[in-house]
Amino acid sequence: MGRITLTGIEKAFGHVEVLKGIDLDIGEGELVVFVGPSGCGKSTLLRLIAGLDRPTGGRIEINGADVTRVGAADRGLAMVFQSYALYPHMTVRQNLSFGLENIHMPKPEIATRIAEAARMLEIEPLMERRPGQLSGGQRQRVAIGRAIVRNPTAFLLDEPLSNLDAELRVSMRAELAALHDRLGTTMIYVTHDQVEAMTLADRIVVLRAGRIDQVDTPLGLYNRPANLFVAGFIGAPNMNFFAARIAGGQAVLPGGLAVPVPGRAAEGADITIGIRPQHMRLADPGAPALEARVTLVEALGAETVVHATLADGERILTVLPGQPGLERDAVVRLAFDSADLHGFDGAGQRLPEP
Amino acid sequence: MATRLKHMAGAAAVAPLALLARVLDPPLRALQRVAGQGGMITFFLVPNMAIFGIFVLLPLCINFVYSMTAGPELFLAQRDWVGGAQYAKLLDCEDYTRPATCDEDLFWTAVWNTARFVVVQVTLLVVCATVTALILNRELRARGFWRAVFFFPVLLSPVVVGLIWRWILQRDGILNAAMLDLGLDPVNWLIERGWAFAATVGVTIWAHLGFYALILLAGLQAIPRDLYEAAEMDGTRPARMFWRITLPLLMPNLLVVIVLALIRAVQVFDEAYVLTGGGPGTATLYMTQYIYEVGFASLLKNPGLAAAASILMGGVLVVLTLVQLGLGRRGESKGKAR
Ligand SMILES: Nc1ncnc2c1ncn2[C@@H]1O[C@H](COP(=O)(O)OP(=O)(O)O)[C@@H](O)[C@H]1O
Ligand SMILES: [Mg+2]
Repeated sequence: MGRITLTGIEKAFGHVEVLKGIDLDIGEGELVVFVGPSGCGKSTLLRLIAGLDRPTGGRIEINGADVTRVGAADRGLAMVFQSYALYPHMTVRQNLSFGLENIHMPKPEIATRIAEAARMLEIEPLMERRPGQLSGGQRQRVAIGRAIVRNPTAFLLDEPLSNLDAELRVSMRAELAALHDRLGTTMIYVTHDQVEAMTLADRIVVLRAGRIDQVDTPLGLYNRPANLFVAGFIGAPNMNFFAARIAGGQAVLPGGLAVPVPGRAAEGADITIGIRPQHMRLADPGAPALEARVTLVEALGAETVVHATLADGERILTVLPGQPGLERDAVVRLAFDSADLHGFDGAGQRLPEP
Repeated sequence: MATRLKHMAGAAAVAPLALLARVLDPPLRALQRVAGQGGMITFFLVPNMAIFGIFVLLPLCINFVYSMTAGPELFLAQRDWVGGAQYAKLLDCEDYTRPATCDEDLFWTAVWNTARFVVVQVTLLVVCATVTALILNRELRARGFWRAVFFFPVLLSPVVVGLIWRWILQRDGILNAAMLDLGLDPVNWLIERGWAFAATVGVTIWAHLGFYALILLAGLQAIPRDLYEAAEMDGTRPARMFWRITLPLLMPNLLVVIVLALIRAVQVFDEAYVLTGGGPGTATLYMTQYIYEVGFASLLKNPGLAAAASILMGGVLVVLTLVQLGLGRRGESKGKAR
């Protein structure tokens, strides 16, 4: 139980359209991540699902029942807020029991549920403290605990890790993934951090300016980005893009290198070719290659990030394995497999498969 | 451009101060050489201490001496020393709950009137201010206008408040005229005991409500909105939301409001005096009015007795003020812990 279906969801604040027609089907037990740049409408969409706001158009269904006009309390969902929103005047135990008391659950059952959640999240020693006496990570656990005890149809999490320091964020991320495996409950997770999205998600929903750009598995997004935006957003460092023209059935890059067209495109068309920094290597002498002048070398030990410029001044970034010993102003010759190329048409959409 | 103008205007406004600072610099430096750094602290504190001493501390002490003397004379030198006799007179009573059995029956009438006033007025005032703040905190149309409307009476002088309401409530006042027009029998608002008491309560609430509502409104706005959203997700009904979320989080502000209102209610005087003059009879005679009349306004002036009564009342106020300071300090240390 935990299937959520959105049909044609629209939301406007006054004259500002924030969501412009969202269709999405979230399966039972799935961990779906909404990802996108700040201000694209992720939180707004999550709040509509939660029932904290009402959409201006469209339908929301939970397990097949239309809940578009149903209040937040009666949707059976639980939310973890970015600010945690713990009740500051209540102890941890009271924070956890508050929602259960609201539905007049018998006291022994409340106690059992709280004990179970506390054990799962390892917050047992904190039960009699108030939120003000907890660290950020502990508050985060309590906030998750408050959601768990309600045994919801689905969890909604709005940037739950963004207030934690980097180290804690990585470990909490792993714990959340483990928690999802263990509970098997549907989760909708909002983040602007594509690494979080890639590591956690069963499926990622990429939002941009109130629309869904692409929905796919993390590797699906990485390997077959539907447009330039997704290609640039997923993967770090960002994908390199070059303007190219189709001539003689081949794509001609700046500097004259001709490569097979990744997809179908008309003769003479202007397209954009994309390649990830990790998919380039130093070319064998004499083999055809992309020539670039090195502007900056960042040696990280296991790998080396090389910034360079092409003949036409276009900037390019590559991540080379190991320590290739490059210097500033050296000329590098870069090679790649044509299978790793991505092609996009003039409108930025992925070229159809050949 | 605009910011540069602002900048220049700011500089122009500061120029006289800068000049003053330059003029004062040499003598102050010289003084510091003589007095040392610690001496400068004293130097800067002295003017304020002097004003406080002359106009507050000294009169307080003189008042205490007065409370040990008797007679109608104004100058201390001409007054008779009686020790604690004035206090004994005030406290001489068979049954404190029945002023008629007391030596100074008016004092005890005033004490009980004031006590009743404090309980009724503070309770109603705090409830009304809370309700007002809750309403003003909602997303209502022309919110700024309504906030101003409720705050406006706070800006009026107490005498003006008393006069306005006397015009409304007196026997041939506006309210009775309106009731006559509607075919109702007029009521002697300020002449019947119960109504007169109610009028002093109502009018002082009207006059002070805005101030306390403002403090509570600030408290309400400091409660994060997402707490309410979390409570909504938790399936909390509105009434429970108020009792379990709003009220506990508003409690620091509410305590301040209660104590401030208590202090002011004990001191009630000007609005009530202008409105009812303490009448009918002694039905709305409150402590401050009693002190004023015994000390200055009655035929049998007795400044010593008035001084003793004011010292007793001061004791009550000191206790309340200590409570308020204690609350303030607790709030501060809590604020630091967060
Ligand atoms: N209550 C509101 N009133 C007006 N505009 C809002 C409101 N909530 C969000 N917005 C606007 O909607 C857009 C999307 O916001 P949000 O969903 O919070 O973005 P994010 O993807 O960063 O979570 C933003 O441009 C924001 O300014
Ligand atoms: Mg957001």
